[in-house]
Formats: sequence, structure tokens, C-alpha cells
Amino acid sequence: MSDFDQIIVGEEWENTDLSLLETLDHVLNRGLVIAGEITIAVADIDLIFVGLNVMVSSVETANEVLRRRQATE
Amino acid sequence: MRLYVYCLAEGVDRLHEAVRGVSDAEVRIVEMEEDLSALVSVYRSDDFQVSRKNALAHHEVVRSITEQTTPLPTRFGTVVTIEQLRNYVSTHHQAIKAKLAHVRGGVEMNVRMIHSIAAADISQQPENAGGPGTAFLLEKRREILRDEAGAAQKGQLSAWLREKLGDLIKEEKISITPSETVILARADHLISRADVQEYRTKMAKAVEERPEIRFMVSGPWPPYSFANIELEFSSQFGVS
Repeated sequence: MSDFDQIIVGEEWENTDLSLLETLDHVLNRGLVIAGEITIAVADIDLIFVGLNVMVSSVETANEVLRRRQATE
Repeated sequence: MRLYVYCLAEGVDRLHEAVRGVSDAEVRIVEMEEDLSALVSVYRSDDFQVSRKNALAHHEVVRSITEQTTPLPTRFGTVVTIEQLRNYVSTHHQAIKAKLAHVRGGVEMNVRMIHSIAAADISQQPENAGGPGTAFLLEKRREILRDEAGAAQKGQLSAWLREKLGDLIKEEKISITPSETVILARADHLISRADVQEYRTKMAKAVEERPEIRFMVSGPWPPYSFANIELEFSSQFGVS
């Protein structure tokens, strides 16, 4: 992953999926909002919904990593 | 003609040759006012999709100019006409310049924390202590206690992070998401690009002091969390 995608604390987090989810979280949920035609909905898909899915996936992925870690402790 | 907008930035005079935008579109620099520019692609609705590939392409375009300048990234899916873009920049010129000055030379770092709730006070209520009215009031009370606990945790977390990171933090945003079993917290920090290594070192040390909390630290990122002109947006469009 790029320099801007590093997960830097704890080797259990060095997970490509988490890096990807972090990137998507930034791109989908943050950033300057300019009034435009499709700031919220692109191609009939609600970006807020997409963003929520990313967040849910992120939490689930994080919990799965923790479960695996606790199982090996 | 409609434009897909990636970011606003000052002092951009060239693009990385290899960079491609969403739907593999060419990325262009559109000069706005003074030395302010926008990175855009011509938007074609027939070949644009909300996809992982396009979201990552958006990020790569923003990232491609971070060696030249610190941009204000726009949110994925921002499509405007050139007139809308020029109008936005013109009416928000001072706020954009101020925001660019604020983030100049900076990067964003993020800390996510997961903390298990140890059968906390907020859930220790009798489950069948009356009828529906009582249950409703108890639930409302739990909600209030959860909110109060969240606010207190936010303050404590901010104080702890500031103690550990000191004056590295130029700006901080903290959000807490309590649930029945865990507390999810997120801290976004704007720091100087030159301080990234020191930030990592200090966070790594801080993490060791709190074994009960799971941490994830990521960055450096372009300042996505510090790019929005919220008050301007609220006042112009009547939303918050």
C-alpha cells in the first residue's frame, strides 16, 4: 500500500483489508463538500449507505482480528 | 460539461504523468483564482461507477500532488459544472484560502480505539422493574447516561492524547461511538508533515501504557478530515 495507507501500531492491524477500509473511509466520509449534482448520490446509489457499509465492515473486520488474536493468546 | 472534482489546491503546476482519475479518465488542472486550482476529470455518467477502484483512484489523484502542496480533498462523488465550481470558489474564496493556510505543510493522522465496556454502570438496571412506562423511562435514562459517559470519555481521551502528543497536534477532532459492549473512539489529528515520525514514536509509547485498549493508528493522509468548510456550507445551504 502507499505511504498514505500505513497502519502503524500493532502487527495485528497490518492487514490489507484494514488499510483499504481506512482509505475508503477517508474518501467516502470525509473531505470538502461542494454543492454539486451528485455529491450524495452517484448512479442511484446513496453514498451515505456505501459509507455506512464501509464502516460496518471496518468494525467487523477489526473485531474479527481481535477475536483471532485473543484465540491465540 | 460536468467535472469530477478531486481537490482544491494552491501552487499546483504539474501532475504526475502516470496518474489517472476515476474511470481511468485524464486528470486536469483547472486554474481558478490567484494561484488556486482544482484537479478535475471530465465526468461521463455512462462509464462512472461507485466502485472500490474509483474510490482508490480518487485518493491516488489527491495523493499525487502532496509532494508539491497540501490539498483540500473533496469528498468522493463530487460532480459539478465548471460554472458551479467557479461560483463555489468565488463565494468561498476567503474561507478556502484560510483553510489552505491552516493545513499547509500538514498531514492527517488517525487513531482508532476499541475499549470493552466492563459491565458498566449504564447497563446495570433491573430488566423487569415495572410496566412499559417504566421500561421506557429506564431506557431513556440509559440513553442519557450513555451520552454523558460518551462526553466524559471524549474529554478524558482528548486530555490523554494531548498529554502524550503535546504540541504536535495542530487540530484535533474526536468522535466516540458507544455501544452495549464496546466503545469505539476515533481521534483525527492535523500535524506537521515534519512531525510524522515523532508522532508515531509517541503514539507507540502511549499505546504501551493502555493495554486494555486496542489501537489502530494510520497515516499520514491528506487532510480529508480537516478540509470541509462547515460553517460556510451550513450558512449557505441551511444544513448542518
